[in-house]
Amino acid sequence: MSSVKGFYKQKKNPNTANKSSKSRKPPIHAATFGSNLAQPPALTSRNGNPDLQDEYSESESVLRQFDMNTVYGPCIGMTRLARWERAVNLGLNPPQEIERLLKSGNVQQESLWDSRI
Amino acid sequence: MERVQSSYESQDEPFEIGKEMYRGQQYSQIYYARLRLMRTLLYSLVSQWKPNSPVCTVLGLEEGKECVVVGTLFKNMKLKPCILDEYSKERSVVPLVKPHNFVDDDDYLVLEDESGRVKLGGNIIVPSVYVTGIVVAIHGKETGAGDFLVQEVLEAGLPPQIEFPIKSREDRYVLLVSGLSIGSSKSNPLQFQLLVDHITGHLGDEKEQSIASQIVHVVIAGNSVEIPRGLLNGQNLASKDLSKMAEPVKELDILLNQIAAGLPLDIMPGPCDPANFSLPQQALHRCLFPGSSVYNTFRSCTNPHCFELDGIRFLGTSGQNVDDLDKYSEAKDKLDFMERTLRWRHLAPTAPNTLGCYPYTDRDPFFIQNCPHVYFVGNQEKYDTRVIKGSEGQSVRLICVPKFSENGVAVMLNLRDLECHTLSFGTQFSP
Repeated sequence: MSSVKGFYKQKKNPNTANKSSKSRKPPIHAATFGSNLAQPPALTSRNGNPDLQDEYSESESVLRQFDMNTVYGPCIGMTRLARWERAVNLGLNPPQEIERLLKSGNVQQESLWDSRI
Repeated sequence: MERVQSSYESQDEPFEIGKEMYRGQQYSQIYYARLRLMRTLLYSLVSQWKPNSPVCTVLGLEEGKECVVVGTLFKNMKLKPCILDEYSKERSVVPLVKPHNFVDDDDYLVLEDESGRVKLGGNIIVPSVYVTGIVVAIHGKETGAGDFLVQEVLEAGLPPQIEFPIKSREDRYVLLVSGLSIGSSKSNPLQFQLLVDHITGHLGDEKEQSIASQIVHVVIAGNSVEIPRGLLNGQNLASKDLSKMAEPVKELDILLNQIAAGLPLDIMPGPCDPANFSLPQQALHRCLFPGSSVYNTFRSCTNPHCFELDGIRFLGTSGQNVDDLDKYSEAKDKLDFMERTLRWRHLAPTAPNTLGCYPYTDRDPFFIQNCPHVYFVGNQEKYDTRVIKGSEGQSVRLICVPKFSENGVAVMLNLRDLECHTLSFGTQFSP
């Protein structure tokens, strides 16, 4: 891209460009694959919010970690609450905090990957 | 003469899709739920089976260390048809498929859990017996080549069974029939009419009628009609063809009407019936049977179908699960496949891999939690039956219900002792 830049005048619509980068950004904490812990230490050690602090709130970050935790199974095609309830039914003791956050209502109910794949 | 009655309780609820909605979920969910359920179960058995062996995940395997791993089997099959084959440029790389199934000598098994997968080696585990989707515990060790050398396999075994109700002295029969195929060229309307007349006690002398009065329940295990598919060509149907399409269902309704007027009747959908394709097949809609559905003895059920009759537990399918196992594995007879599904504790292990299945997210409805007393499979080539015993005193009557349209055979099961015999109907006059 950088070499092309000189040839073509690029016009960027600041609104749309910003928005797409916000929602399309894949999370870096994909390293939880295969972890058997409910709260992988690798993530919490980085203050639970490894990248781009300004893009989403503290609670969304906690919920994203929950989405990415393979112990609770795939997260595609179900709401976060449904996934939390499945974990309860399978006896996995998911963190209470997740339920509290989801039932408080002002967080995203769909998983991280919802409508992105 | 009065008909004997018995109490009936439907247990189809796990097979009802109800308000579930498709939200883009994938089949990974059902495998996850299956692995979780089965692993909890197998771990509890492993502590008695191999108390001294450590339990590992696939990722935790170390070379030369003996351990127990629990995971889902995947069978790599050279001959398994693949949707991508038709796009492949290299033709005829795959050898020709054998006429009856896709099993090949080069098949091998892979064990998977959420951490990874490992190829299984050794001659203890025979790939032709297993299929993709079963969860087992395996004792063995990793070899230098990165394979897992299997020393012993533990299957979940027969599930716990409720006690068989106290034996009554009177005979009560359940009649199982499948593959009526009304509307196909093979089906003989007179044959089915004879069956109906026998059930309702319109045939034979007093002795025969007294036997008929002991039939307490009728189960029709799938493929009741055959819709003339030649009419479906993607175009809108002419009105005369529309009525031709509906003809077999109408005829079925007239006959079921006669049965339902006399005794309780369960009808399950099968692969040829006007129901959804994927398992669990939902009950045929009542509006297909305007005549029969007014009776409260008429019940349209799901496939698989589970119910209790006088405390005796029945579980049955219209045959898809066993037919699919027959395509992807090998056994002496169909009863062997049935026995395996019980011992694996999974009614349809090949779903969703090679058998259509609803993408459940929170459970696996085909996981067999309670052992039935009677397990039947419809639409088989021939009648066959056997009793199998479990390690904890379970005893299950297995029944292959033949296609009625081909040989005119229905199965009578005595609830007193779970003995079976057949009823054959023929319409040939001997010269």
